[in-house]
Amino acid sequence: METNGNEGGHRFSQKSIAQLDEIITHYPERRAAMLPALWIAQREYDGYLPPEALQEVADRLERPLSEVQAVASFYTMYNFRKRGRHHLEVCTCLSCAVRGAYEVMHKLEKELGISAGEVTVDGEFSIAEVECLDFCGAATVVQVGDQYFGNVTAENVDMLLDQLRNSDSHTPVELADALVKIMTPGGSEAAPA
Amino acid sequence: MADNDLVNVKIDGIAVQVPKGTPAIEAAKKAGVDIPFFCYHPKLSMEAGANCRMCLVEVATPRKGPDGTISMAKMPKPQTACSLPVSEGMEIETQTEQVIADRKAILEFLLINHPLDCPICDRGGECPLQNNTIFYGPQNSRFIEEKRHFPKAYPLSKHVVFDRERCIHCARCTRFTDDISGDHQLAFLKRGADMYIDTFNQSKMVSKFSGNVIEICPVGALLSRDYRFKARPWDILSQKSICTQCSNGCNIKLDYRVGRLQRVNARLNEAVNEEWTCDKGKFGMDYVSTDQRLVTPLIRRDGALQPATWSEAMDLVVQRLKEAGKSVGAIGGARCTNEDNYILQKFFRNVLKSNNLDHRLGTYLPPAQSGLHARLGYHTMGNAIADFERMKTIFVIGSDLVNEQPILFLRVRKAWRFKGGRIIAANPAATQISEFADPEVTYRAGAEVALLNGIIKILAERNPSAADLPGYGDFIKSLAGWSIEKAAEESGVSAERIRRIADAIFSGETAFIAGKAVTEHPDASAVIEAICNLAVLSGNAANVNIPVTQCNAQGAMDMGLLPDSAPGYTPVEEPGLNTRQMLEAAADSNLKALWLVGADPVAHYTDADLAKRALGGDTFVIASELFLTPSAELADVVLPVASVAEKDGTYTNCERRVQRIFKAFELSPDVHPDWFVFADASGRLEQPLPYFSARDILREINVTVPLYADCSPQKLGNEGIRWQYPSAKSDLQLVPVEYRPLAKVTVAE
Repeated sequence: METNGNEGGHRFSQKSIAQLDEIITHYPERRAAMLPALWIAQREYDGYLPPEALQEVADRLERPLSEVQAVASFYTMYNFRKRGRHHLEVCTCLSCAVRGAYEVMHKLEKELGISAGEVTVDGEFSIAEVECLDFCGAATVVQVGDQYFGNVTAENVDMLLDQLRNSDSHTPVELADALVKIMTPGGSEAAPA
Repeated sequence: MADNDLVNVKIDGIAVQVPKGTPAIEAAKKAGVDIPFFCYHPKLSMEAGANCRMCLVEVATPRKGPDGTISMAKMPKPQTACSLPVSEGMEIETQTEQVIADRKAILEFLLINHPLDCPICDRGGECPLQNNTIFYGPQNSRFIEEKRHFPKAYPLSKHVVFDRERCIHCARCTRFTDDISGDHQLAFLKRGADMYIDTFNQSKMVSKFSGNVIEICPVGALLSRDYRFKARPWDILSQKSICTQCSNGCNIKLDYRVGRLQRVNARLNEAVNEEWTCDKGKFGMDYVSTDQRLVTPLIRRDGALQPATWSEAMDLVVQRLKEAGKSVGAIGGARCTNEDNYILQKFFRNVLKSNNLDHRLGTYLPPAQSGLHARLGYHTMGNAIADFERMKTIFVIGSDLVNEQPILFLRVRKAWRFKGGRIIAANPAATQISEFADPEVTYRAGAEVALLNGIIKILAERNPSAADLPGYGDFIKSLAGWSIEKAAEESGVSAERIRRIADAIFSGETAFIAGKAVTEHPDASAVIEAICNLAVLSGNAANVNIPVTQCNAQGAMDMGLLPDSAPGYTPVEEPGLNTRQMLEAAADSNLKALWLVGADPVAHYTDADLAKRALGGDTFVIASELFLTPSAELADVVLPVASVAEKDGTYTNCERRVQRIFKAFELSPDVHPDWFVFADASGRLEQPLPYFSARDILREINVTVPLYADCSPQKLGNEGIRWQYPSAKSDLQLVPVEYRPLAKVTVAE
């Protein structure tokens, strides 16, 4: 992994550093930029937050390590283990449950040979059960990276898997990137290093 | 109007006046009304507080209607009394049906996952959760489901073990590490029912103050690994004492059972340690109850130390002292009480007619008549520990404060965290103070004077009135060759940072704290002179602090355990030998007898070889000791003496606060306080010093040492008394200091 000449094993790219600098200006204190900084870290560290990622956020925001971990672990969308190249988040809230979310879930588990919360051996897929994704009109909803897939059923879920197998997009990194873009309306882009 | 800051509130109909903004829970305390709580703690910030919900009360505030009439408007929901600042006319009800029902509900909620394993819990018997449940809790539980389960004994650090099941998520410990100790070790991870406390990434909890979280935990979740399962709270007795691990003089309680120390807890003293202890104090005091303690006198027979009776040992000591005449000396005293030291010096000065007395083992010898005292009128600390809270700026120079003066460190951090003080630090290497020091600069070791000269140069330009100070002309002349750039180059600190330090000192009342890098500097007196110059120049002559490090080193100085001054710093006519001179004399067989009183020169004196030659030679060596130390092993007679837990007396801490210790238990009939040993010896020499208790001796000290006149046993009380110099020094002056780079300095004695 390229270090961009960063010290102490830091991994943020010049672009990330510029984006974080922009985000920090949105708030009265650096500490408040914690959540966006964690999203940038999740993008830079391959879609999850290993201890080194938390360390980098702590260093860049000048906050204690324990606080960064406390904040990150409060939320469910930060990953602390490496997810599959495609992380399937199946909504099992009311509307989706009524429309067969658990059948979808069990089908996925059977097809992929893993349980919710696990990653396939080849690192391609992981599954998680999540709360409402706010897209109830298209229940059952499955979120994969930055993309929603609606009206998923136990019958058509194979198609979704096939489609994803042949796709390089909709990864956890892309989800993080999409969120960071929303947080940086200034579109801060550093000059290519 | 003076009353502006006070508001009138009623708690359950009881009217009280409290400062505006006081939390309702404190106002209730004043009214004598009990409000139960878990998470509230007056020393912790409320930023992450009010999370146990135990202190709910009903509140009404006055409201002016459209017609001008005032009626009481009740807040629609109960409020947490800990986070509710009182306002004028507020009425708080703590006994309504609603409040009583709320308390029951909260306790039922907190007890859902609490394992209720009270019979095997160290907290059982002194547990706020037990106590609040008795008085405010529900009689039964409706919870029949499985409780949360976690590992029962999760070790957080060398000292602290965590029972995660018992935790009620009050956040006292996490706030402690953020607000007080500043090491930010503990935090809540996850949320809701999954929430738990842990260190970052399950690393070891690294803190100098970890023991405090055990004491502030309102349940038995955070426990001491030393004390775990050792005793029940109702089986232990407790005695008031003072920690002997450093010179800060923390107030502690020795909790003991059948003559053995079980644990140490902090004792409240707002002037000194507030209610904190450092880990050295909390977990390091167990030395008093180890099996290595000496319980019988030892006499060297046929080359080996062998047990003897008290009389055999003392008769031998007295016989050899008689033969030695005036050729005797004593080293020690820093761990002894004032009473011990007073009798020690009285025995040597009045009975043996010798001034060969010293207590200093380090390179730095705090001089009684020169140095800081000659410049500013005090020997060690100009400020009291509590004074640091009021400082605008605190300049820590050459001190790893958290290790050298842990409680002083907490007070300095408090000044920054809660009182808006600014901390600047200059050290040869980065220390834990970098968390909040702005800036903490790292200078080239030994270049203190260069750095100080740079700061002085800036301040001299800014403060034209300094020209009136005596010695100013010569002083400024001596700085002619100095510029900020030169100071930067010599010290390795950038000119910009030197300017920032100068700005901070110039901005308001500044206190200076110097530590070991200064006192152990080969040219320590020059560095201290330079600090004095900076203090005088910036108008802070009363704020220089060079604290002693050993437990009662301050008291030993006060009690005249110095070759050149008697108790109360009265100069003596014929100064005796200092530590080095005594050791040299002993090594050359020019000293007939040497008494080590709790001093271990072989282990602690800078020149261990000299110490070994001195003690291993012809000189008759007596060691009054707790343990068979490397020095005691070389002695001819070893006398077992009482530790802090086994005697009464007073210690004087680094800020000159005289505080009492009380005897907790007895180790063995042959173990006596040090003063008793000298009183006994004086009797056997037929020049008796007739004392029966430490109280008698303190009363004599009150009379003979004017500085201690107020420190009578009756007056010392729980807070102790900080003795004062009769008058502040008026003839302040500036003195030229020569900067000698380290390589050019030869170690002077």
